Amino acid sequence: MSTNPILKISKVSRTFGAIQALKEANFEINEGEIMGLVGENGAGKSTLVKIISGFDPGFKGSYQINGKEVKFETPSQAEESGIAIAQQELSLIPNMSVAENIFLTGAKVKKFATLNTLAKMARPYLDEVGLTEVDPTTRINLLSVGEQHLVEVARLISREAKILILDEPTAALGEAESRRILEMVERLAANGKSIIYVSHRLDEIFKITKRITILRDGVSQGIQETKDIDVNKLVEIMLGRELANMFPSKADHISDDPKLEVKELWPDGVLEPVSFSAFKGEILGLSGQLGSGAGEVLASIAGALQSRSGSLTLNGETFLPKSPSHAIKKKIAYCSSDRKKDGLFLGRPIFENLTSPALGAISKYGFNFGSSEDNYSRNLAKEFLIDVKRMHDESGLLSGGNQQKVALGKWLSIKPDVLLVNEPTRGVDVGAKSEIYQRMRELAARGITIIFASTDIQEITYLPDRVITFYRGMMIDEHRLEKIKTPVILKEITDPFNETNL
Amino acid sequence: MSAIIENNQLPFSAKFLQFYKDRTLLAILLSLFAVMFIYGIFFTENYLTITNFKAIIRDAALYGIMAIGLTFVTLSGNFFLLSLKETASICGVTFAMGMATGFGSPDLAGNFLVSLLAALAVGVVSGVIQGYFVGMGGNPIVVTLGGAGILYGIGAWWSDNLVINFTRPHDAEWLGTGSFLGLPSITWSFILIAIAAEIVLRHTNFGRKVYLVGANKAAGKATGHENFSMAIIVFTICSVCCAFVAVAFVAQMDSAQSNYFSAEFGSSGDMTILVIATVMVGGNSIMGGYGSTLRTSLGAIFIAMVDNMMVLQGFNSGPRIVGVGLMIVFSIIVFGLFAKGSRAQE
Repeated sequence: MSTNPILKISKVSRTFGAIQALKEANFEINEGEIMGLVGENGAGKSTLVKIISGFDPGFKGSYQINGKEVKFETPSQAEESGIAIAQQELSLIPNMSVAENIFLTGAKVKKFATLNTLAKMARPYLDEVGLTEVDPTTRINLLSVGEQHLVEVARLISREAKILILDEPTAALGEAESRRILEMVERLAANGKSIIYVSHRLDEIFKITKRITILRDGVSQGIQETKDIDVNKLVEIMLGRELANMFPSKADHISDDPKLEVKELWPDGVLEPVSFSAFKGEILGLSGQLGSGAGEVLASIAGALQSRSGSLTLNGETFLPKSPSHAIKKKIAYCSSDRKKDGLFLGRPIFENLTSPALGAISKYGFNFGSSEDNYSRNLAKEFLIDVKRMHDESGLLSGGNQQKVALGKWLSIKPDVLLVNEPTRGVDVGAKSEIYQRMRELAARGITIIFASTDIQEITYLPDRVITFYRGMMIDEHRLEKIKTPVILKEITDPFNETNL
Repeated sequence: MSAIIENNQLPFSAKFLQFYKDRTLLAILLSLFAVMFIYGIFFTENYLTITNFKAIIRDAALYGIMAIGLTFVTLSGNFFLLSLKETASICGVTFAMGMATGFGSPDLAGNFLVSLLAALAVGVVSGVIQGYFVGMGGNPIVVTLGGAGILYGIGAWWSDNLVINFTRPHDAEWLGTGSFLGLPSITWSFILIAIAAEIVLRHTNFGRKVYLVGANKAAGKATGHENFSMAIIVFTICSVCCAFVAVAFVAQMDSAQSNYFSAEFGSSGDMTILVIATVMVGGNSIMGGYGSTLRTSLGAIFIAMVDNMMVLQGFNSGPRIVGVGLMIVFSIIVFGLFAKGSRAQE
């Protein structure tokens, strides 16, 4: 490994109006190195990434490539120097084939090229990212999200990118697909590419990086050798304070009378009807990768997804919710996994978001003159540690963590008996994660039954009192309290029917 | 999104941005008002007269009322009701039929209340049906264009494309040409409807739902506010506003024909374009979730002022329609420039 960094950024700062997004950032990466880039939401990660990839020319400071000072005005200039970024939101065209997507810009392709030619040209790049079994003529939308990520990276490689920035490539992926991404990253690094790996998933950072750059409040905290630090130390540097315990302690015991009984529920995406019960005051985790059916089961309890059969028994009443509004009337709240899609009204103020499920509670005869809504939303905000002064700001202006708190907190307004949460902390920084876990535990202690589905293995091991595992649309097993063990769960959600390990 | 939005430590700047965004469009509109007013005073004869201003606000009232109805549709994220003039057309024919013939029973001929209720009922029915199809997931443009054809066709068929006359004195004169405290009845209606609509939007659960569903249909469904009932209600509100305007206009003309609202209406020809322009010029988001009926009302007065100015300057109807078109384009450009980064645009 060469000792001269291929890319070096020193004393870079960036201000937007009165906001100082980056105060003093130093960053470097060597050839063939995987460099982790971590920080809380708002720490300046995305600003730094934008500067590196040429999206943001308006910064101050020094930016060198191979020891030469450079100044990129546009992303395409950065690309010519071999710097490419795979964004979280993919820029693939769903109706076109894999090969066509790879050569979309067409720089290397003759004016007239058949799909077969393109497919042949695409082959080596696909092999390099580990998509050996994918036919390059397949349409993109027939691939899984993880495979699409790999195609995106193949496209970047085809343009001879030497430095790849991967911005949260595994945020929307389950465990097995994430593993493919990590394998790819390691293979690319072995082939001499430099990779900047941005992620909230600290386990991945530890697994694949040699060095880690940590940003806090727009200041880089020095480069850490991965082998010299552990998770607690990393989190401490990230937050500037010790995170004694990210997860709250579990319940002392679970009551024996079932609060919610799920019988023979059978939504799309699940192979066979599912039955289980949830007890009063517990946190029940449904664990499984994407496509395992755990999220579908949750959505069908909430009426957001139709179930072919089955029923719920809650408070002595037996019913099957036909729509979210039906479930809400029965005091079942459902916080979906995609807050931008159906969790938040991004263009509306925070207080409107907080009271949106319970308009009846803040009004008299359908009229609402503000004061009771004000109190109501303030109380909710206080309970969920949302800044009360920002109640009239658009919720879209909040950081991911705060958005999630609003998306979750709004459901307290209906005083739910059952709270269903799909992916409680997706795209949320460590600090906000911990707050969300604490809040969920407090709500459970108050007697609310919480069921959540998650693909995050840390979360599934440490947060819930019981875990039910899912694999490819089947319910596999149920675990209680202290018997929850990570390897066992991991095995059950990735490959339950095979004796050998993956 | 940019780092501005990610950074949650400086709420002041965020607030400033939001304030700026909220007020810019209004400020632009108000300054244009001022420019036009001053220009009018110095360069246009007969501009600064009470009669002229009454004429402006009277014109504004007719399409202003319909635009207020359309604002509910647009705010709720259901785009536009494109059968505005056709709804008005069939309601106008219905009203005139009632006034002229009593729908076949001579006893009812000229009965204002029966004719009015019949016209409003036609509005309700067409609104509910179109709203139903949109609520079921139909594309609002396609559904209401189809509705437009059907409604206009039925009106023309029923009236044999003839002008339906009813003679003065009749019971609807007070609405058509009457006035109260110096202002025409239609102007009073506009003021009252504008106030009522603003109260509904700001201070009722229904109004809140309009904004929420408009901002994000999926999130609306997840929180128990479905677009199905919303679409039916907003399309009905809009159609009833069309029916009311049609009644007032027919009462003023003492006659109705199915093409009144394509050719004869107001001064700028096609009513649908005029009403959509009013909603746009007011600065309401086409995607829904952002705007108000107050903005629409100001938009109506603004368009009426521009039109009035052009009339006084001696332009005939062609250039005036061009003027309305330019105002739509202009408002979209301004909105696009200043609402950039607003989540309401997504």
